[in-house]
Amino acid sequence: MSNIAGKAYAMNVITPIPWYKVWLNRLIFWAALKIPNVLNGLLTLSLIHYARWVIIPRDKFPRLDPSQPKEDLNYSYMLFFSNFNGSWDQYVDSFTFAIPSGLDLFWKMNVKYPKSVPLTPFHNYIQHNQIDTAHYYNAYPMAASNDVKSAKNVKKALIDFNAASSNKSPDEFLEDYNKLLNQLQNDFGEMRPTPIVSLAAQAVKERVMEEQRQSH
Amino acid sequence: MTQNLDLTDIQGNIVKAYGSSGFFKARYLFLRVDDGDKGRDFVGAITSKVTSANEKLKGDDALTVTTNMAFTYAGLQALELPTASLVGFPSDFVMGMSKRKDILGDDGPSDPKYWDKIWQEKVHIWISINGKTSDVVEERYQWILQQIKATGGVTLLRGHCGEDGNGNAVDDLPYQDASVLYEKDGVTPTAKEHFGYTDGIGDPVFDGQTNNAARVIGRGKLTRSGDWVPLATGEFILGHVDEAMEYPQTAPRPDLLSNNGTYMVYRKLHENVGTFNKFLDEQSKDYPGGKELLAAKFSGRWRDNGAPLVHTPDNESKAEWDKKFAAADDATQKRMLTDFTYNEDISGAKCPFSAHTRRINPRGSLEYGVKDAFHTPGALVDRRRILRRGLPYGKVKDETSDKGNHGIIFMALNADIKRQFEFVQQQWINYANDFKQGNDKEVLLGNHSSKDPGKVVLQVEPGSGKPPHFVNNIPRLVETRGGDYFFIPSIGALKLIAGGLVDPT
Repeated sequence: MSNIAGKAYAMNVITPIPWYKVWLNRLIFWAALKIPNVLNGLLTLSLIHYARWVIIPRDKFPRLDPSQPKEDLNYSYMLFFSNFNGSWDQYVDSFTFAIPSGLDLFWKMNVKYPKSVPLTPFHNYIQHNQIDTAHYYNAYPMAASNDVKSAKNVKKALIDFNAASSNKSPDEFLEDYNKLLNQLQNDFGEMRPTPIVSLAAQAVKERVMEEQRQSH
Repeated sequence: MTQNLDLTDIQGNIVKAYGSSGFFKARYLFLRVDDGDKGRDFVGAITSKVTSANEKLKGDDALTVTTNMAFTYAGLQALELPTASLVGFPSDFVMGMSKRKDILGDDGPSDPKYWDKIWQEKVHIWISINGKTSDVVEERYQWILQQIKATGGVTLLRGHCGEDGNGNAVDDLPYQDASVLYEKDGVTPTAKEHFGYTDGIGDPVFDGQTNNAARVIGRGKLTRSGDWVPLATGEFILGHVDEAMEYPQTAPRPDLLSNNGTYMVYRKLHENVGTFNKFLDEQSKDYPGGKELLAAKFSGRWRDNGAPLVHTPDNESKAEWDKKFAAADDATQKRMLTDFTYNEDISGAKCPFSAHTRRINPRGSLEYGVKDAFHTPGALVDRRRILRRGLPYGKVKDETSDKGNHGIIFMALNADIKRQFEFVQQQWINYANDFKQGNDKEVLLGNHSSKDPGKVVLQVEPGSGKPPHFVNNIPRLVETRGGDYFFIPSIGALKLIAGGLVDPT
């Protein structure tokens, strides 16, 4: 079990919200998507792969099978689901420092939400309502979201460059090549395994690898 | 200024860097506590001479020598602090620096197994002596030796690498000496380190530290209106409100033990001067701006006078800046060194994303030009600042060689080692996702590997059609040779510890 895979951390937080306030929260989500710049802060936090908020009405809580009895719930729930780079602390810290009012807006209808500043009550709230990740697969464990964006930029630019410049004279080719490098100058970062997210997670990983080595 | 700090209670090294007040010589001692009772007597004896932040450092009746004291977690255990207090310390401090090596990137030649021998010992107490001359440092050192003899219960640990009186390399010195570097005349002190860079210009400023608003420019936190204001005191001193509007959560109980104290990271950093000079010469052969501009691109400041690259991105603008700087008064000079942000250079064309100063303090530029993206421009920066209190050590005898004992005694003070020092070291020096540069490490301090040397990109003006400059084959320029994490108590707390009176109930 781990919330960590490669450079990514998976966070699931599920918080109760009074059913009669759900419409207000939906209105807030709707407005956030409609009004320009509201999500600028979130989008600028480049450590985030994605963040999603979903409201689960109290009579729509998923069941694994129709035979599973329906629960009689007092609350509706808000599921917050995110993958990001770095540790839990780094992520929650960045969130509260960068976009405290945005967080307060999205969670303000939720039961016992303490506001995002000061930090410790917010930390405790997230931790109390977080559900650990039982299974987590990461296809590109060395990639942060910025690496994926850069790789896509490089790929597209190279294909375009090849189509436009491959038959040019050496001088023109060089000029185009230099332009290409200029265009991609912030997409050349190395992609390597470090940094480790936590010493505890690292120790678990090393034990598992050691066991695998011994069983071969 | 809104804070009135109890300067008589706060140790002097927290509020001021002694080096900039004319204390050019320092000696660091490390001791083991063998007996709790006698050890506490020793702490009490030293406490009588511990320098508070209220002492006068400049002027006629000023001090000529200072003494400060701090403890490792093992040290506080050995001095028999109650368990209910000990459990309140944060796990990074409890573990100590060598066990954090995978976070800090202390691998290869920086691995703790190669550190000075003293770090194999049980280090419990750190005592620093800073003096205006070597003589007063020696005098205070002799006084401390007398206290060790008088109380017993503690052992001064040997095992620092350095030189004996005859200039021979030894590995069992009982102390670590440090000193500012001097001009070639051997008399004029400088703020330089062994690679030739000017050090310690942009140290942060916190609330209560200074009444001089001009000192806050470029050193506090950047507000939305573009002004600089002091950082919250709690970022650097326990028992005060921090940038998250709460008291630091790293404080052990009782408050009397933690208030007005802080945490210190002590690191002995060896500088590979020969490798650096060779690397700079080789790389500058095909760098269009020449050797000194390239050296500035590594650091973010020019080596000769610390001019910030953001305002002096090429040789022409540097010449202009130098003229203005030479004609300016002291206050204007200080302002010219610190009054800038990287928002003036979002593309990195002037000061690249790999430059040391940009990495350790991005100066409110992590919004990448997105208007009002965050609550404040410095939202991702203000909780990652550290006070640097250190001095160079040793002398470079052969500028073509890495051998010898010379480098920097780096001391960083912060309220939360993990959130501040370790974050900067791991995420910003040895990694660059926040700068959108993948795993490219900072040039000077990064833990580059000889098997797999690093590279960085020196950005150029976007849309100019010019290619960026690639710096390849970056070797390990700085190696860790020792260190640990320490708790610097207030003077009141020192007295409680000495008296065996710490009681968290």
